[in-house]
Amino acid sequence: MADGATPRRKSVPDWLNNPIWSAPPPSPRHSSPPRTAPSPPQPPPSPVLPPQPPRDPTPIPPPNARRDGDASDDEDDEGKGAGAPSRSHLVAEFKVTLDRKVVDLAELRRLACQGVPDAAGIRPIVWKLLLGYLPTDRALWPYELEKKRSQYCAFQDELLVNPSEVTRRMEEMSVSKREEHNAEGTGVLPRAEIVRDEHPLSLGKTSVWNQYFQESEIVEQIDRDVKRTHPEMQFFNGDSSDSLSNQESLKRILTIFAKLNPGIRYVQGMNEVLAPLYYVFKNDPDQSHAALAEPDAFFCFVELLSGFRDNFCKQLDNSVVGIRSTIATLSQLLRRHDEELWRHLEVVTKVNPQFYAFRWITLLLTQEFKFRDCLSLWDTLLGDPEGPQATLLRICCAMLILVRRRLLAGDFTANLKLLQNYPPTNIDHLLHIANKLRGPLPF
Amino acid sequence: MATRRRMLLKVIILGDSGVGKTSLMNQYVNNRFSNQYKATIGADFLTKEVQIDDRLFTLQIWDTAGQERFQSLGVAFYRGADCCVLVYDVNVTKSFERLNNWREEFLIQASPSDPENFPFVVLGNKIDVDGGNSRTVSEKKAKAWCASKGNIPYFETSAKEGFNVEAAFECIARNAVKNEPEEDMYLPDTIDVGGAGRQQRSSGCEC
Repeated sequence: MADGATPRRKSVPDWLNNPIWSAPPPSPRHSSPPRTAPSPPQPPPSPVLPPQPPRDPTPIPPPNARRDGDASDDEDDEGKGAGAPSRSHLVAEFKVTLDRKVVDLAELRRLACQGVPDAAGIRPIVWKLLLGYLPTDRALWPYELEKKRSQYCAFQDELLVNPSEVTRRMEEMSVSKREEHNAEGTGVLPRAEIVRDEHPLSLGKTSVWNQYFQESEIVEQIDRDVKRTHPEMQFFNGDSSDSLSNQESLKRILTIFAKLNPGIRYVQGMNEVLAPLYYVFKNDPDQSHAALAEPDAFFCFVELLSGFRDNFCKQLDNSVVGIRSTIATLSQLLRRHDEELWRHLEVVTKVNPQFYAFRWITLLLTQEFKFRDCLSLWDTLLGDPEGPQATLLRICCAMLILVRRRLLAGDFTANLKLLQNYPPTNIDHLLHIANKLRGPLPF
Repeated sequence: MATRRRMLLKVIILGDSGVGKTSLMNQYVNNRFSNQYKATIGADFLTKEVQIDDRLFTLQIWDTAGQERFQSLGVAFYRGADCCVLVYDVNVTKSFERLNNWREEFLIQASPSDPENFPFVVLGNKIDVDGGNSRTVSEKKAKAWCASKGNIPYFETSAKEGFNVEAAFECIARNAVKNEPEEDMYLPDTIDVGGAGRQQRSSGCEC
């Protein structure tokens, strides 16, 4: 083990070596009461989620997916995410904040960082606000939602039609034109007007068919991945018609996104980034919103990705904004906060951060924790005033520090395995550590 | 001499998305099959201890993402590989047609010292599907391609049923071992240009 002995910045801050980091869960975020506390006078305590029987039993990770070692995770379905019960007092605070004529975003951020209660349909609204999908002025909500949702319908109409439909429409147009000509007596058969480029066998770049074949490859890829989204959850992967319709929604969202963003198109893993958004909106107790989860999730997905877009872009991999540079920033962040650990990982055991952090970062940690925990983690990710990317990197850094003892004792193989299969963790604890790592990002 | 180095063999699995790379690796290492694997993002990593002719090795297997977008990130994963496994789905012609692309991409990015003789193994996976009725790439065709690329060993596998997986990986491990001494001969100050180190031909597998 590279025991200290680095010339500069030798010492690790005291708090890092505090045994508390390796000890089981301390108190939850801030000073909320223990999560086991019975939820007192909270509106309807029982149906944590909307009463949608078939879709919701959502047995999260299968028993063998992650064995619980140290963390005091709420296992049962009732737990519905990190600390629904414990944060009941927050429900009232959120309600007050959300009921204001104009929502105070700073206030909302502060609250969100403490974790959004799962109850009472708060999270869907909070996320929509934090992502800028809903304006802060409540009076504008109906108008904005109406506008966006009908825009989505237009996208669907425009982008999800198949090429025979497009050619048919073109034919119709030319036919009608031709008919005008015919009226003038040119007598050319309408059929002759089909532009050669639009023939299915045409190789012309502009051919709608050529485009279609390229796109069908993406559509196939999306299809393959959507089917593999949270296979352990009924919501995404059951046999029910609900889960099938959820899959269809995810596919449409990703396809429309890919078509609207030809520079990025679809990158594997986007399905995992979309999944939490869609899940949260679809489970909004307000049925009128739940029914329109698809358009809402689409626009929020676009918002969310706009902050992380560069990580998905192959052309930027080697630029100062692409994924490599993001990973390098994480590495520097670790070095700044825990040089000993950084040295052991990257110099001694030669674990290239790309080996584990690529997935952490591009998928916004959705694969490293239980789904419910991810939602809590995202509350902070979306709410933190430092912004999602900086917050994400701090959390990643905290993840490393949290298992520093094991890492310092491990070799390449042990360390990589540990980081690729991150152990069950108390999310409050993790966020608490991440919170301590604030400061400007190193570049 | 050859034993002085790590007893570690690095194997990279490449191929289109959905051909079963993750399943093959897990079937081999954990004797398990699940149809619940998620898409691999970046690369996953497993190890297995193997014995080859009385020598013990740690096989370090890297399962990579299939989408083309991830290729430019491959270099970090490919470097230092001792054997590269190319996987396609016998029911998807395109996944077979892209083997060449994967092979070339690997050679460019990993830049092995002797690309001509770098050991590859090709696996045609999912032969169990539909009792073989949905198959679109024949064994003959696959073997012909392998032959044309310097006799790459070829195996037909079913990760789902565990068919031929063990045999394939044994061959992979053996080829990786063969690659090792060769690397030693190409260490820095070998000025020999005459080809003394060329005796190695990865001409398929004796196993």
